[in-house]
Amino acid sequence: MTQAATTEHHTPVEHTTTGLNNRKLLMWAFLGSDVMFFGAFIATYLVYRGKSLVGPYPSEVLNIPITTVSTFVLLMSSLAMVLALHYVKEGEKNKGTLWILVVVVLGTIFMGFQFVEFREFAHLGLTPRTNIFGTTFFILTGIHGAHVTIGVIWMAFLAYSSNSGALRSDNALDLEIAGLYWHFVDIVWIVIFTVIYLISANDAPPPGMESVIH
Amino acid sequence: MASLWRKLTHHDGNGWWNLPHTASNEPNPPHEGPIGGAWLGNIWRIMTYGGVSHAGPGFYWLVGLFLSIVTLIEVWLFDIGAVLGGWYIPLLLILSLLKFIGVVAFFMHLRFDHRLFTYLFGASMVVGIFIFTLLLLLLEFGNQPPN
Amino acid sequence: MTTNALTFPRFFPRPQSETGIWGWIGTVDHKRIGTLYGITSFLWFLVAGVEALLIRVQLASAENTFIGPEFYNQLFTMHGTTMVFLVIMPLSAAFFNWLIPLQIGARDVAFPRLNALSYWVFLFGSLIMNAGWITGDAPNGGWFGYAPNSGVTFNPGLGMTYWVVGLNILGVASIAAGLNFIITIINMRAPGMSMFKMPVFTWMTLVTSVLLVLAMPILAVAGIQLQTDRVYGTHFFNSLAGGDPVMWQHIFWLFGHPEVYILILPAMGIVSEVLPTFSRKPLFGYAFVVFAGIVIGFMGWFVWSHHMFTVGLGPAANTAFAMSTMLIAVPTGVKIFNWIGTMWRGNIQLNTAMLFSISFIAMFTIGGLSGVMHASPPTDSQQQDTYFIVAHFHYVLVGGALLGIFSGIYFWWPKFTGWFLNEKLGIANWALMLIGMNLQFGPQHWLGMDGMPRRIYTYAENMGWEGSNLAASIGGFILGFGILLFMINIVYSRMNKKIAPADPWDGRTLEWSTSSPPPVHDFDEIPVVVYRDDFWFKKHPETISEYYHNDHDVEDIAPSATQTAEEHEDDHGGHEGIHLPDKSYYPFILGVGIAIFGIGFLTNTYVIAAGVPIFLWGMLGWSMEPVNDPT
Repeated sequence: MTQAATTEHHTPVEHTTTGLNNRKLLMWAFLGSDVMFFGAFIATYLVYRGKSLVGPYPSEVLNIPITTVSTFVLLMSSLAMVLALHYVKEGEKNKGTLWILVVVVLGTIFMGFQFVEFREFAHLGLTPRTNIFGTTFFILTGIHGAHVTIGVIWMAFLAYSSNSGALRSDNALDLEIAGLYWHFVDIVWIVIFTVIYLISANDAPPPGMESVIH
Repeated sequence: MASLWRKLTHHDGNGWWNLPHTASNEPNPPHEGPIGGAWLGNIWRIMTYGGVSHAGPGFYWLVGLFLSIVTLIEVWLFDIGAVLGGWYIPLLLILSLLKFIGVVAFFMHLRFDHRLFTYLFGASMVVGIFIFTLLLLLLEFGNQPPN
Repeated sequence: MTTNALTFPRFFPRPQSETGIWGWIGTVDHKRIGTLYGITSFLWFLVAGVEALLIRVQLASAENTFIGPEFYNQLFTMHGTTMVFLVIMPLSAAFFNWLIPLQIGARDVAFPRLNALSYWVFLFGSLIMNAGWITGDAPNGGWFGYAPNSGVTFNPGLGMTYWVVGLNILGVASIAAGLNFIITIINMRAPGMSMFKMPVFTWMTLVTSVLLVLAMPILAVAGIQLQTDRVYGTHFFNSLAGGDPVMWQHIFWLFGHPEVYILILPAMGIVSEVLPTFSRKPLFGYAFVVFAGIVIGFMGWFVWSHHMFTVGLGPAANTAFAMSTMLIAVPTGVKIFNWIGTMWRGNIQLNTAMLFSISFIAMFTIGGLSGVMHASPPTDSQQQDTYFIVAHFHYVLVGGALLGIFSGIYFWWPKFTGWFLNEKLGIANWALMLIGMNLQFGPQHWLGMDGMPRRIYTYAENMGWEGSNLAASIGGFILGFGILLFMINIVYSRMNKKIAPADPWDGRTLEWSTSSPPPVHDFDEIPVVVYRDDFWFKKHPETISEYYHNDHDVEDIAPSATQTAEEHEDDHGGHEGIHLPDKSYYPFILGVGIAIFGIGFLTNTYVIAAGVPIFLWGMLGWSMEPVNDPT
């Protein structure tokens, strides 16, 4: 409408009861909601752990060394995220943009790992329709992957706006909120890595039920 | 008793259940580190605040290093899992809890931020962990035939 | 909002029109969205009511052939699902939308566009869920959709897919609305209104919203699992591949029991507003009522297995859940006694709203007591799946939630519209509904005790069930006639308008301080709150000493609030221009995108892909929508 209105939006003066930003509260409350979402999926996985009637079984397909690398990639993307926020808040545009880009790249690498892993599993004969392990594994990690994908798109968008100068220290909150989401996706993976990969990777097939794939 | 009730319910900013209703742009910095107020605590404070209201990059790198090392320990525990027997599972859970707390407290700034965020997130964590643990226990032990 | 410097190609100008279809599609006004919720859910209420009446016609006599078994399955499934998800929840949401900003002294909710999104997603979800009536295969697996009966093996065709896809979409709407109201209540209160000065309805909304936000994701998980089972052939509930049918029951009731409190807590909040107003006394034991609500909201998480006593969870689990179920009756009882205490020696004014509220207490108590009866596993194994359970939850949901909501409708109607509903027709409406529901659901208690199972489409002649069933059917029609009278009342009162003043009932809370209906900006000046029931005590300052007799209390409350008022004077005064959120089409567009995803799961994966660009367009347009830009 007027220049004044637009300028005012650049430095939004929000009066809230607690003095906290509405959108940041929303993100935290949403993450609380997402806790229940992933909690129910992880609980389903644990309930069905070891209930597969046919192979392939976890010990035959899960590849711990490769997943360790992808876990490390996601952890480091979280580090890059928090550094990006730090530099954007400090007003160091180039460093900020760079670190957001690092987040995008690391997130994409993680997605790549997951894609390769899914294809490898399918090659070994494990699909969501094969057995209960496949069902629970693919749906849980797939939904986590969908979260990562949304995060990568969001981050790419923020990298673009940081580069164009639209994301600055005074609206670094936009990045902070996206960062909260990103870190949350990371902590979900921390749990998934422990529960699905490390704890279940020793779940061997019952004697005589080994898949012929090896 | 009456004073306890007042303390629980009153709304002038001193009640236990109060949600804060004043602006709080300043984070509430812990005056002591998790290891006390002695020199270790001081080092902690310098590392985490470094004179500004938020931690500096150095500290974040340190947390990142910590996360990586714990992950390596986890994988190592998995490798020697056969030696440890069933014990490696609780150890792994504890280690992943450490990583979880590391990311939530420092990367997500929950430790430096307003308490309300901790309540919002913590409430769902408590409910979630409680009911899903209960569910697992039910399905694990519930269906056993009576002796 | 993310990037102001970026521009995004827009196909429409930002909506400007206040009226007409585009005015409604682009609206972000909480009052209009509340009206939309109210009208939509009332229409679904009529649909579900007709379904119930068809069921009652079929059951009126033994060996009736009015309806076949398959159609009967569809009817009871859709009656339950519609009443729970498309009637009571959104009717409560209509009250949330209308009242929360008014009660806490705000100009709108925290996220007006998100609020609009909730409504549109709810609307499309409800349409998808009911689409089966048109294609001829409506959902038929019960409102709880027990797997594997709802799985594709035993239930081929699209029926339960409509149900599960619709439910997932409705879940998105509920979570978005729940988040919105949590943030609104925490963060948008008028200066001086601390948490313990909030009206009880606002408190109950907060508890309900927290429950929604935490419980709906669990339903979403159950829904996604059933949906992938049905659409993509996974094995979550396929026992041939090791899946566990009991798992569905657990996940569903993990959601389902908090859901029960999602349904009843708003009605409890409404009653807690109506009773003090017409007893001309403050709510008796405000803190107790609030804490009882919070405790119910928390304990509601630990009772879910009482829906599964006959599954065979083992004696230890059954005992534990029986105890927690009986315990949760305690905070409910606390509330009932506080309501009675509120009326005790009050100056009671018996009008329609008050009559509905009083009968709420009575009917809810009956339903609650029969609930405590089947909290005991041995008793429950007798009553499980009989009409006794049907009688119980209808007393709680019709006698509880619905009477409470009707009380709220009569109470706040003058505030919503600016005119009164006719009292005489209202009292007739109340009487018919009360008589009808007791005649309908009362006999079902002894039908259940006599062993009549639920969900049977007919019964043999010599069972001795005819008389009670006929009475129940007559009661159903009386209840239906009561609802008809309500609609007649609206039309009649609309034609013979009796204009309502701003504060027709001598109300206690802030919504009565603004005009009826409220202006678009709700309050000309944001009120500054000093007391609980602030509006009342400012109208009647002579009563302050009566209720704040402890000097310490007054000192304690008054200075802190005046201080807050001074702090806020500059920014909340409202003299220098009122900022209202801008209208937007993007919630609607985003809602369409989500609906297309849903249709894609029902038809073809490529349709999902078609939804992606619309969804992204909605997201991007939403996030980059400039503020106050008319072009």
